[in-house]
Amino acid sequence: MLGEFEYLMLTAAARLGEEAYGAAIRQEIEGATRRRCSIGALYTTLDRLEAKGLVKTWMGDPTPERGGRPKRRVRVTAKGVQEAKTFYNAVTRVSRGVAWEANRIAV
Amino acid sequence: MTRICWRMVDIVSRALEPAERDAVRGDLAESGEPAGEALRDLLGLVVRRQAALWKDWRPWVALVSLIIPLGMMLSIVSKFTANQSATYVWLYANNWDWALLKDAGFWREFANSVTFVLANCITLVCWAWTAGFVLGSMSRKIVPVYGLLFCLMLVFGALLVAPRYFAYLVQYIDRPVSPDEGDPVFALAFYRVMFPLMVQAVLVAVPSLLGMCQGAGVRRIRRPFHTLLWVAATCALVLLLIEEPGFGIFLRAQWLQRIRQGRVLQPIVYWPVVYLVGNAIRRRREGNATPARI
Repeated sequence: MLGEFEYLMLTAAARLGEEAYGAAIRQEIEGATRRRCSIGALYTTLDRLEAKGLVKTWMGDPTPERGGRPKRRVRVTAKGVQEAKTFYNAVTRVSRGVAWEANRIAV
Repeated sequence: MTRICWRMVDIVSRALEPAERDAVRGDLAESGEPAGEALRDLLGLVVRRQAALWKDWRPWVALVSLIIPLGMMLSIVSKFTANQSATYVWLYANNWDWALLKDAGFWREFANSVTFVLANCITLVCWAWTAGFVLGSMSRKIVPVYGLLFCLMLVFGALLVAPRYFAYLVQYIDRPVSPDEGDPVFALAFYRVMFPLMVQAVLVAVPSLLGMCQGAGVRRIRRPFHTLLWVAATCALVLLLIEEPGFGIFLRAQWLQRIRQGRVLQPIVYWPVVYLVGNAIRRRREGNATPARI
């Protein structure tokens, strides 16, 4: 079973698709959670997800806006998609009928 | 302030693997984060990376079998060297008389003193460098933490272990090894407290950190030469154990005592000099062989 932050990272990477890399994933998570995401948490979680075979990472080409430094690109694997689905389904099931679930629809 | 923070970011990021360093520095540049936050973020990542290395058993073995004993031994040897040298430094610095320059006997005595102090200092530097080299060659990734722990052990050794060790050693030999406050040299707080710490910082901490940096790059060396370096380093550290003040007394084996007294293996202690000179010559040759870039 995934951890909460791992799920956030997988979801952000899946949403970004071809444009998924460190800084973009971080921005996506910060935008969704409205909380700061540290680079330490981001990169160590990315390593953990890669070790579990849930994502694949590789170094992209250097770009001028990054001071000529490459991006660490990320792609969610089929196993990663499956794990994210399992997590999402579990959260959806466990949330069914609770107060905040009902309020969410009202909001 | 911002420039200092970015400089710190540069330094701290060196603790990361080259590929990760580039990716992280690129992310920081792209996100336009203020220097202070970038530094905090980067420190967080480096701490996590270094902490993760301690999940393995090898750093713990290195800590118990090398960092702690070598830190203790070098702080003891450093204190011993500082106490011996302090007398000579005091003799010339605190009792200087220009008239001495005209005395031929002074020059002879001065040359003997300088040779004695220099030989002790070079031996200590070589031991410290060797200890650092061995630690650095074990794992390149963990060198920053090894460096920090080794320096902490040196401080701990200088403040607590060395004084207690000398007090214990006095029971075994009939001459004082720790400074006597009645002695005019050690009556001065500078020679009693500050001088040993200065000697330890300059002749032990700095060379050992430099040795760690050199040792971290040793994996690129060819196998037979690599083995030779390890043999030399091991012999030098064994000599540290059997030659220096009083350690040999606790080792009762006769053949070890003979090695200690004969000092037949002493030249091995100076292997770092041969290694560094050889390395410098090799680098110069490689530099000459590389065509200039246009």
